[in-house]
Amino acid sequence: MGKWYNILVAVDAMEPSLSAVRYVGQVAGKIAEVSICLLHVYPEPPPDFQASGGVCENYMAQRIAGAEQVFQRCTEILVTSGIRREAIACATQMAEGKTISETLLEVRARGDFGTVVTGKRGISKAEEFLFGSISNALARHCQDFTAWIVG
Amino acid sequence: MIDWSPFPDRIREQLQQHILIKDLRRQPRLFTDTSDFTCIDFGDVIHVDDRFFLVVGHTKEGRFGIDEQPKQWVPKVVDLESGQRHILKLVFHENFTISLGPFQITCYRSPEKECRVLDLVRGNPLFMQGHSVPDEVGNMVRILDVIQGTRMDTTIARLACDDEAYLADHLPGILGHYLKLLEGIMLLHRHGLKHGDIRRDHVIIDGRDGTYRWIDFDYDFYLPERPFALDLIGLGNILLFLLGRRNFRPVDVLEDPEMGERVLSTLHVNDLALLSRDRIFNLRKLKPTLPKCFNDVLLHFSVGTPVLYDEVGELYDDLQRCLVEVYG
Repeated sequence: MGKWYNILVAVDAMEPSLSAVRYVGQVAGKIAEVSICLLHVYPEPPPDFQASGGVCENYMAQRIAGAEQVFQRCTEILVTSGIRREAIACATQMAEGKTISETLLEVRARGDFGTVVTGKRGISKAEEFLFGSISNALARHCQDFTAWIVG
Repeated sequence: MIDWSPFPDRIREQLQQHILIKDLRRQPRLFTDTSDFTCIDFGDVIHVDDRFFLVVGHTKEGRFGIDEQPKQWVPKVVDLESGQRHILKLVFHENFTISLGPFQITCYRSPEKECRVLDLVRGNPLFMQGHSVPDEVGNMVRILDVIQGTRMDTTIARLACDDEAYLADHLPGILGHYLKLLEGIMLLHRHGLKHGDIRRDHVIIDGRDGTYRWIDFDYDFYLPERPFALDLIGLGNILLFLLGRRNFRPVDVLEDPEMGERVLSTLHVNDLALLSRDRIFNLRKLKPTLPKCFNDVLLHFSVGTPVLYDEVGELYDDLQRCLVEVYG
């Protein structure tokens, strides 16, 4: 099991995600050894994307540009909480042939992160069934690491 | 006067002799580019895969009665050399929105996905068979084998017996076939593919050996975190139909003289379908003789479920246990 203060935070532009980053700042802000990776995973383009003239590289560039803004915001929150800027890394990844949660779990295993953090949206059972829930997937597959689900 | 010169010698005689051509009052045309499929009509010939297919009709959307519309991108054809009947599926990209209760989901018609499924399931009796070939300009034309058989739903609806006899004599076999169908869908999911349009009229019972076979794989959805959710919903709907022999909406209960207000008053929103809330999944309230374990499986698809199925394998395992519990 990786060290707990090697923390992977799944982020997007939504408020629950920013809440999770604030929570990480509060908990880990005073830990000297902490290292944090902000990860933004985005889905593959829709099935008709290429048939309707879309270019995958442009789609990825757009998603990465959007993620950069999220990273900036999250980094400021963490730095304000006392975490050194050098201790913060950022990564963007497309979920290719996988779900977003599967991709998150893969990145977790590859980086041997001891803690994975995500925000929790309040969604209904029907929404969860249809659109899925990263936090539920994390809770379900949490093994050899600790999950922080911030509501 | 028909000009036969566009058609090669090797098929000309078969074409001239075909009954459809004899009645045709216009020049039959030869298509090597199927892009504009709306122009291709009865009596025309499509040339792909170095084969010549005479168009003898079009398939129709099967389940909606008076709204049946011919699907012009799905012609019924005869291979002029072998005499075999096939169904062709021509490339037609479209997308549209479907509503599931309060949710709107974009649905895509994806010939590419259907080609991948056909490749994966080649030789697998649980699926319709066919292969894809490019036409002259690269449109992937799917050449499908015709399944000589009947729709599963109409076959089951026609069974002339009461519920007791249905449960005892027919259901074990039907659910055995349903489990095989689930195995087919699990195979697709393992390979990252979805069926995309799981409905009870998309299962054909093969007349030769009674195998239940999936058809029509060209729908796709954009649900990145839950790519197989709609397949699961479709499987739940089919199971509901198999156990209940029809679907019941609250209004159906009210209008049924044997149930009426007496049964309707026992229903709760938790008994309805999780997403669409249009049909009753707590079937035991309508059919008290249904074994409880079957009903418990159905309830996983209801509003009131505390536990949702995450994947088809969970449904498969539960149902297999039920079959052993009820029928030994």
